[in-house]
Amino acid sequence: MEGVWVLLTALLLTACAAPGPAEETPVSRQIVAMDTAMTFTVYGEGAAETVQAAVERVQDLETRLSRTEDGSEVSRLNGSAGAPAAVSEETYRLIGAAMELGEEAGGAFDITVAPVVSAWGFTESAFRVPEQAELDELLTHVGPQHIRQNDQRQADGTYLVELDAGTQLDLGGIAKGYASDCLAALFAERSVERGWVSLGGNVLAWGTRPDGAPWRIGIQDPKHPDRQQDLGLVGLEDAFAVTSGSYQRYFEEDGAVYHHIIDPATGYPADSGLVSVTVVAGVERGGETALGSGTMCDAFSTALFIMGEERALDFWRSSGRTFDLILVTEDGRVLVTDGIADRFTPEEGSGYRYETVS
Amino acid sequence: MRRSPELKPNLWDALTAGVVVVLAVACAAAFWGRGGGTEQLTMVVSIDGAEVERLNLDGGQGQRVYTGNGYTLTAAFSPEGVTVTEADCPTQDCVHSGTIRRGGQSIVCLPGRIIIQLVGGPADRDGPDVIIG
Repeated sequence: MEGVWVLLTALLLTACAAPGPAEETPVSRQIVAMDTAMTFTVYGEGAAETVQAAVERVQDLETRLSRTEDGSEVSRLNGSAGAPAAVSEETYRLIGAAMELGEEAGGAFDITVAPVVSAWGFTESAFRVPEQAELDELLTHVGPQHIRQNDQRQADGTYLVELDAGTQLDLGGIAKGYASDCLAALFAERSVERGWVSLGGNVLAWGTRPDGAPWRIGIQDPKHPDRQQDLGLVGLEDAFAVTSGSYQRYFEEDGAVYHHIIDPATGYPADSGLVSVTVVAGVERGGETALGSGTMCDAFSTALFIMGEERALDFWRSSGRTFDLILVTEDGRVLVTDGIADRFTPEEGSGYRYETVS
Repeated sequence: MRRSPELKPNLWDALTAGVVVVLAVACAAAFWGRGGGTEQLTMVVSIDGAEVERLNLDGGQGQRVYTGNGYTLTAAFSPEGVTVTEADCPTQDCVHSGTIRRGGQSIVCLPGRIIIQLVGGPADRDGPDVIIG
């Protein structure tokens, strides 16, 4: 009789080790869109259909928001500078959100800086250092005062936006964040339990890993941009994280390095003492909306990079928004704000000095 | 004086012990093998969102040429990983990406819209799910 009990106990132990949620196999897909590599990973029932829907959503956004794709709403708007142009309600609201976020950030994020970015060759990967006179002329067309939005909905459901002659819009600094907001809404609508999406420097961590732990998000080490090597991990669950870094796109000329994050105030690559800025904010489950935290993180990662350490931390403390930061400085420090400090694990032997900021 | 119970093992005890040993081994295999990446390291190549090749890297070494959006790259592979050795794209980011060696890593040629990703291989439980930046 004792043997029967031993047998039952052994069976119970085996059951404990039997494949559980940790064995879930995700559906994962990579694509190139919005000029970056994107990965979509979804677990659970209907994962393949959800991944397909997510890819289609992003591709649809790219078709409408791209500045370089002929026929996109933004291209048509840029092509009609000096006269009102009709855009969809979604594009209209995204332009409005970009202007509001830029204003909050004191102009450090500006969707009209596109012609200046192009003058440096970052749009077509034809890099050059523009003359100061050229930059001065281009900067006269930069600023939200050159955009006029008409809030009267047209009969066909569109809205009118007018740009001053010479002004061009580029939503590239906010479109991927907006896309991640849209995907959070999609995941909520489809009751996705877990997954993650990486849209270039934008990550959406949805739910938890299959073992119940937060997703482990590595922060790219700017010292080794060519290797996929992190300087630390932050554990995230239902959160957005967006990184802007000078190492992501740059060129060298006559011994000087010029990166792609252009300061709208000077027309030059921002020389702020920072090499990367990661902005982290939570997803509001049940309240996922387009133009949410993902959009905010994307805009602020650029703006705070331009601001530099001191202004960025002041902004973090005083903006009234809820988000956290991981700043990497040129002098080898990694600053983690206290809202996520307990979820951040430094990479041993990275050579950085890690500090928690309150 | 009371007699001790009979302690001599019988056939039923031996059978039970054997079953316990078998279950213990199964239990250990299930635990240590869980998500352990027993799958072989495989190179998955997609061009413009469509998978064009899936190659088991344990099969030896060699090279492949892929063309997308008018750009061509050459990828050298071995059981240790994959390296883009040559490309005619303007950025050369794929060439500068070095060698990828673990499941989850990828090399991307943006102009060619070509993605080379590694899947399978030994799992890194303490490593990142994704690197941002």
